[in-house]
Amino acid sequence: MGDQAMPVGAPMASAGCKAARRAPMFDRIGRRDVLALLGAAAAWTYPARAQRSIPVLGYLCPESPVPFASRLKAFHDGLRETGYIEGKNVAIEYRWAEGQYKRLPDLAASLVARDVDIIVAPGGAPVALAAKASTTSKTIVFEMGGDPVQLGVVDSLSRPGGNITGVSSLSVEVSRKRLEFMHELLPAATALAVVANPTSPTAKSQLESLHSAAGVLGVDLQILNASIEQEFEPAFSAAAQKPPTGLVFTSDPYFAFRSGQLAALAQQYRLPAITQSRDFPIAGGLMSYGGDFVQSHRRTGVYAGRILHGEKPSNLPVQLVTRVEFFVNLKAAKILGIELSPSLISSADEVIE
Amino acid sequence: MVRQRFRGLFQKYWLVLFMAVAVPLAINGVIEAWFGYRDQRARLDQLLGLQATSAATRIHGFIDEITNELGWLVQLPWTDGPDELRRTDALRLLRQAPAVASLTLCDHAGRERLYISRVGLNRVDSRAERSTDPAVVGARSARIWFGDVNYNRGSEPYLTVAMSGNRPSAGVVVAEVNLKLIWEVISAIKVGDAGFAFVLDRPGRLIAHPDLSLVLRGADEATSKPFQAIRYAIGRAGTGFARGRDLRGDPIAAAGAPVAGPDWTVVVQQPLSEAFAPIYAALWRTALLLLLGTMFSGLLAYGLADRMTNPIRLLEEGTEKIRAGHFDHRITIETGDELQRLADSFNRMASQLALAREHQERIARLKRFLAPQVADLVDRTGDDSVLEGRRAEVVVVFADLRGFTSFSAGVAPEEVMSVLSEYYEVLGKVIAAFAATLISFSGDGLMVLVNAPVPVKEPALTAVDLAVAMQRSVQELIGCWRERGYEVGFGVGLASGSATVGRIGYASRFDYTAIGSVVNLAARLCASAADREILMNGEVAAAVKDRRALKALGDRPIKGYDEAIPVFGIAFDAPLKACAD
Repeated sequence: MGDQAMPVGAPMASAGCKAARRAPMFDRIGRRDVLALLGAAAAWTYPARAQRSIPVLGYLCPESPVPFASRLKAFHDGLRETGYIEGKNVAIEYRWAEGQYKRLPDLAASLVARDVDIIVAPGGAPVALAAKASTTSKTIVFEMGGDPVQLGVVDSLSRPGGNITGVSSLSVEVSRKRLEFMHELLPAATALAVVANPTSPTAKSQLESLHSAAGVLGVDLQILNASIEQEFEPAFSAAAQKPPTGLVFTSDPYFAFRSGQLAALAQQYRLPAITQSRDFPIAGGLMSYGGDFVQSHRRTGVYAGRILHGEKPSNLPVQLVTRVEFFVNLKAAKILGIELSPSLISSADEVIE
Repeated sequence: MVRQRFRGLFQKYWLVLFMAVAVPLAINGVIEAWFGYRDQRARLDQLLGLQATSAATRIHGFIDEITNELGWLVQLPWTDGPDELRRTDALRLLRQAPAVASLTLCDHAGRERLYISRVGLNRVDSRAERSTDPAVVGARSARIWFGDVNYNRGSEPYLTVAMSGNRPSAGVVVAEVNLKLIWEVISAIKVGDAGFAFVLDRPGRLIAHPDLSLVLRGADEATSKPFQAIRYAIGRAGTGFARGRDLRGDPIAAAGAPVAGPDWTVVVQQPLSEAFAPIYAALWRTALLLLLGTMFSGLLAYGLADRMTNPIRLLEEGTEKIRAGHFDHRITIETGDELQRLADSFNRMASQLALAREHQERIARLKRFLAPQVADLVDRTGDDSVLEGRRAEVVVVFADLRGFTSFSAGVAPEEVMSVLSEYYEVLGKVIAAFAATLISFSGDGLMVLVNAPVPVKEPALTAVDLAVAMQRSVQELIGCWRERGYEVGFGVGLASGSATVGRIGYASRFDYTAIGSVVNLAARLCASAADREILMNGEVAAAVKDRRALKALGDRPIKGYDEAIPVFGIAFDAPLKACAD
């Protein structure tokens, strides 16, 4: 804001300076010019201060506004809880990567250049990492599914240290539970397909966890990679080949924000599938198991608000969501011709009929 | 001086009146404030204590809810085979009790039969040996067992709750409870507007607080220290609330209540300013009323003091005026009390003073022609009716110098005046000595009256003696004058008879005089008397003939009388005294 006001004020100020230098020679004229200079200075500083008094949040988003709308709403709710309302006492600068995660570092840098007060980095580890890489001085509030300590984003959960803190939805940690649910659904299956995003920073740890879980459960894993939308269909078609009959998606924001597409493909290939986001069963997929993103995004908003109120990010521990939710869609099960066991249904937080 | 005295009296009155109103008011206010403060404190004690108990009940409710749920899992005895029903129950419990993160079910032998978790993989019939697990041991001996709070990854507080069934064969259930979820309970507890509650475990670690980020700092000593200090203060305070300081260092009022079972303490705290707000409000109200009362009593005292001192000031001014001689000054005070009476009596005094002065002035005028004794008499009686006109038997004495006219023509006026003043000085002394009335004097002659206006015992004798005394005194002077070369003599004539006496004149200029033939006769006798001679008519001579040595001088023609009348003289020895200069 200040840099916008600068060009307006600067010429006036320099004219005033010239007048002030002339002052001793032309006393009468000089005094009038000094008054003009004072007036110009007042006019110059006042709007700058007035504009500056509203803090600016930089909102770095990996997707485009439409798939992110429910998360954004939760974030605004959290901000409002601390007394901040966009356009009233806080301004938000949005940067949309629209699914192209490679653009995140540039967008983060542009927020830093914009001199925002806080960078909010919701929607996954890649966003948090891009934001962290772009600045060491700006405060960052992240929202991700992974383990921020393991990813090196923070030093510890209780004492994040430095300029960064946020919320983790536990989605990455529970990807093995997804395999377990699929195994329970298809107890006879000896092999299950796992779809992973190789570009994701959490892919390696998730696959390790899944492999060890598969060992406990006694199933083989078929690992399929998909990092762009075009790779979805090949993954489904590969899984549709025998032997695997069930599809487990690792936790990844890229998958989460494309739940509609995934649900459509699952229906098309008649494959039982489980992802991290409730959007998937809602869109017609079979099951989902993952952290409650409404809770995690709302808490991100609360943290952003608290930091705007002057709290130090290093004093705000990283929060883990308390709610990990299991959604099942009975209609999808019916279409697939699968009977859900009572234990599966009784452990579901939400059953879509 | 006058001003100072006035101000002093005003100050005294003001102070006394002010104190009379303000002191009882202040005492009353202080007493009221003190009792109000005590009542409010007692109420605050009760209120905070109740809040703490209520908060503890709610926290206890949170735990009870979980233990109630757990109770369903340890009702039926274990069989040897897999227990699908119990697994479904456990999964349902997980859904219904969101705070439970994982469940472990063991059979009567202490072997793990079921483990389900929200995050980790479930295990069914692992039959792992758990009989020495403290949770299992604890639940077996006490039915419900609470472990110590531990922090998941050093941040999230977790509590292990274990429970055994009524029968040993029902086994034991061990639940890991995520205490973060107490937040929903604790953040719903409000104490007043800004007060809240928090929970500490037995060692004093923070378990629940409306600000979750404080809890998530884990077993951080620095974080929990201020909370422990508050709990310590509550413990020390015993009954009633304790005072402490919150994280920002602001003073707070706090009360605590225990949570049985896990042995925690719930503390409710409220900013002292808010807790004491009713007390402060009452104190302010009292102070304001006191202030208003004091101001009112000050004004009242001012008004009363003014009312009391103003008449005094008026009286003071009045006396000043009287002192300056303004006897017509009057004081108007209408207070209807003693002061008005005082003013009235002052006014009366002023009018009497005016009368007295008038009288004195008159006396002063009388003294000009009356002998001092006579004047005093008139003064004493306060009545000058003696000066009224009447017929009286009087003796008229005339005296004048012989050859004074020729003498006065030949010498300087200063000399004439000096002679006259010596002459009148001695005559004045004599007249005064005989209490005679000096009627008039002009030039060298004078007229004296005896027996009027004040009667004397023997008028004739007094008059003769007076005439002799006059001759003697004046002849002494004449002796001196002759040494200086002044050729003058002195003759006296007196006659007695009836005459009209009284005051004549106008306005403030009046004289006392006698009118009648006796006056003319006396004047004629004086005129015919030679130097060193005293002539008197037969009447006078008849009155004194045996007591004074008179000699008949035969009949003499007197101007104004058709026949010659008998005239008498009296001899006297003139003293030959040396002159003063």
